[in-house]
Order: sequence, then structure tokens, then C-alpha cells
Amino acid sequence: MKKIKTYFKVWRLNASNTIQELLVNRATHLLFFMGKMIKLSMSLLFLFLIKEQVAQFANYTTDQVIVFFLTYQFIDVLAQVFFRGVYLFRDRIIRGNFDFMLLRPINPLFQALTDHPDINDTIFLIPTTILSIYIASTLNIHITINSLTLYFLLLINAFLIAAALHILVLVAGILTKDTEGFIWMYRDMIQFARFPVTVYLEPLRSILFFIIPVGMMITIPSEVLLNLKPTYSIGVAFAIGLGSIILSLRLWKWSLKKYSSASS
Amino acid sequence: MSKYPKLFKYIIVLQQYWQNLFVYRMSFVVWRLRQFLSSFTALSVWSVVFANQKTAFGYAQDEMITYIFLVTVLYNIILSSSLNALSGEIYSGSMSTKLVKPINVFLSLGFQDLAHKILNFGFVILESLILYFIFKPSFIFPNQSYELIFIAWVALAALICFIINLLFGSIGFWSPDSWGPRFLFYIFLDFTAGKLYPLDILPNIIQKIVYLTPFPYMSYVQIQLLLGRLQPNQILPITLTMLAWTVGLILIFKLVWQKGLKNYTAMGQ
Repeated sequence: MKKIKTYFKVWRLNASNTIQELLVNRATHLLFFMGKMIKLSMSLLFLFLIKEQVAQFANYTTDQVIVFFLTYQFIDVLAQVFFRGVYLFRDRIIRGNFDFMLLRPINPLFQALTDHPDINDTIFLIPTTILSIYIASTLNIHITINSLTLYFLLLINAFLIAAALHILVLVAGILTKDTEGFIWMYRDMIQFARFPVTVYLEPLRSILFFIIPVGMMITIPSEVLLNLKPTYSIGVAFAIGLGSIILSLRLWKWSLKKYSSASS
Repeated sequence: MSKYPKLFKYIIVLQQYWQNLFVYRMSFVVWRLRQFLSSFTALSVWSVVFANQKTAFGYAQDEMITYIFLVTVLYNIILSSSLNALSGEIYSGSMSTKLVKPINVFLSLGFQDLAHKILNFGFVILESLILYFIFKPSFIFPNQSYELIFIAWVALAALICFIINLLFGSIGFWSPDSWGPRFLFYIFLDFTAGKLYPLDILPNIIQKIVYLTPFPYMSYVQIQLLLGRLQPNQILPITLTMLAWTVGLILIFKLVWQKGLKNYTAMGQ
């Protein structure tokens, strides 16, 4: 318990530093915020336009497709709120600042993942979640208490998979001194899940369920919420969640042994 | 008199840019893969939309797929830019090395941008071939009598984009933060230049607002021309509008650059 308190305190300090940074660059962050709002609005507009013109999107109704998009939006932003440190990791490696993280009495993985919480996305997450709930309430979909409960459990599982994928990016950073390409690749792959992953051709569909399991993060929870038969069983989704986090932690430990300081 | 033609030194700039880019091969490969995935997603989504119907938003399936292929290629010619780091170069003072050399800075940046576009164009053709074999689309080009206008519009759009990128780079004279405006610009561009969908599927009021910006001229109108969706009487007004944007942006850029140079310092360089 004491350890959790310490880590929370560290995270809070980091968040406080990031807020101060944000206040210094108010104009830039306001533009980022506006950009994100425009992106969300235009994506929703596109989906509603599709809804007007297209009755069926593969095996889903367009209302159901909107739920997939809203789930994607939530998971994607949530991961950015907590794991923004990954985007800065390359810089820490090539400047040698990661050495300091290794010396501190705080888990270096925790520092690398969370030392720069994205306050902009935190602010963005609140209105967009309220908006998403409102939009979902207007859609013609069938949700039950059971499906909602399972949905929340699967969202936690999705967050675990997101953490695992971010850890893998850090591992790649230690091995190749580059994280930017990998993290943006992850962002591109998760964008596939804006729509149900089942609409894509093989072998991409299987890759999106099992190799970079964004399908398990977004498609399966959405299907469960909508009371549709999930493409793969919920057990498989949880197994992948647990498996991916264990594998990523092992790889992280292994990569630390390969780490050599690039600079000082 | 130099024994080499004047432009020869800029060819060297072009070669140097390629050499530098291939030092970071992995980054380039990942960048291209991301572009490929973006096109793949768009084609997949539209294929699903047309799975149960022959037309949507006034487009037949072949028209829409042709549109997506063309927009992919044009994006790589018109909108790919090597100038993303210009603002940082100016702010940090490393621009000084370019300013003191006996070369024209804008020609040098232009050739650097050209090198970037040539490389991206080469790769997008290869990627389009792969996408072609995956989706096996039927292309339609009903309007083949306007190739010269099409090429001129593409060149003008590339020039407009180049100047806009120079303007973003000029922010470096005053501030290290050019990413905020640049981010907003690219978000606007993604939704208003027709990358994800043709603009005429949007409500009329949004289309009217979008046409007040230079974005529709950065690939959408060129493709509409090839698809035969423009009336002949629209060609002249569009050409004039593009020329007006080009001249207007050049004038604004000259003003900003001159003011910026007066403000420029390069301590420690």
C-alpha cells in the first residue's frame, strides 16, 4: 500500500510538472486541443453521413459501427493520457537521460511509461466521454446490464493490452534507439479498429486480433456491449491481455540487460 | 565562369538529401508502411460500403476506388514535405550555415523538397501496385483530354503547399513551437483536402466554407477533373483561384521572411 502511495505521489508530481509546462505553452496546447476536437467532429460527421447513405456495414448496422468508433476513441485517448512518456523515450535514450531513470529508486518502466502524462488528452477525454455516452444513448442498439459489465471488464483488459504494446515500443527503443516509428505504427494499427476489425481481409484480420491485438482491445468489447456474438470468445481476449502483459514485461527485463548508454 | 551549370549544386542538394534519408532507413520504411496502411484502411472501408450497394454519395464503386488510389498518389506528390524541421533549424540557429553559403536558400529548400517528393512518388507507385493486386479494382478515367491542365494544377498545388510549409518554418524566427499550428493544419488538411473521402459528400454549408481555403485545391479538384466530375466552365475559375492563392501566399511569405530575418539571431552557432 505504501508503495502504491509513493508511486501515485510520483505520478502526481509528474502530472503537476506537465500542467506547468502546458501553461507555459498555452497557445500551442490550445491548438492541439482544437485539432483533436475537429478530428473527432469530422470523424463523427463522416460516420453519420455513412449512416444516412448505407444501411448495412458488413454484418453490422451503422449505429453499431458508431459504437466501435466511440470505443476506439476512448481507448486510444486513455492510453495517450497515461503512456505519453513513450513518445519521449527516444530522446531520453539518445541523450542518455534514461540512465538517471535507472538510478532512481522508482521502477524505470513506470517512469518511462508515465513520466509525462498527457494533460491535453486528459482534458479532451472528459467532454468526449460525455459526448460518446450521449451519442450512444441516441443510437438504436441493444445494451443490457450484463453486456455493460462485461464491456467494462474488457475495457480494463484493453488497457492492459495497450500497456503491453507501449512496453514493447520501449523495448524496441532500447534495442534500436528509435521509438517514434514504432509508436506511430501502433497508432496507425489501432486506427484500423475504428471500424470492426472483422471487415478487413485475411491475413490482416488475424494480425489485428492476435499479433497487434487491437481487435481484442476494441472489436471484442464493442461486440459484447452490443450483445453480438463476439468474433473470438471473451476468454481468448482475456488470455491475450494477460499473455501480452507478461510477455512484454519479460521482454522489458531482457532488453534492460542489452541497454548501453548512448550518451551522457 | 564556373565549369558546372548553376543548377548543378542544387542537384547535389538533392543527392545529399537522399543520402541522409537512407542513413535512417528504418524510419523511412516505417513511414512508408504507415502511408500504405492508411490507404489500405480507406480502400477497405469503401469496399465494405459498396459491398451491398452500387452507388453511395453519388459515386459508383469504381469511381470511388479510383478516387482513393489517385488521392494516395497525389498526396505523396503534393503534400509530402521535407520542411517539417525548418522551424527548428531557424530557431536553433543552424539555418545560418545555409544562409551564408553561396546558394539560394529557397532553391536549396525547393530541391530538398523535390528529392522528398520524388522518393515518395517512387514508393507510392510500388505500394499502389500492391494495393492493386489486393483489391483488384477497375479504374475509370472518363476525362483524358485535360492532362496538361491536370499536371499544371498538380504543380501549382505542390507550390502552394511548399509556400505554406515555408510559412510554418518561419514561425521559428519567433518561437520554437511550430507543431501546434502545423498539427491543426494537417488535421484540417486530412478532412478538407479529400484524403479520406471526396469533399462533395459533405453538407453544402461545410463545402462552401472549405472552398474559402486552399485545401480543396491540394488534390480534390485535380481528381475531380480526371474523373470528369467538373464542368468545362469550372476550369478557368479554379485555375485563377489557385494562381491567386499562390501569388497571395508568396507575398505573405516574403513579408514574413523579411521580418523574420531582421529578428534572426544565431547565438553559439
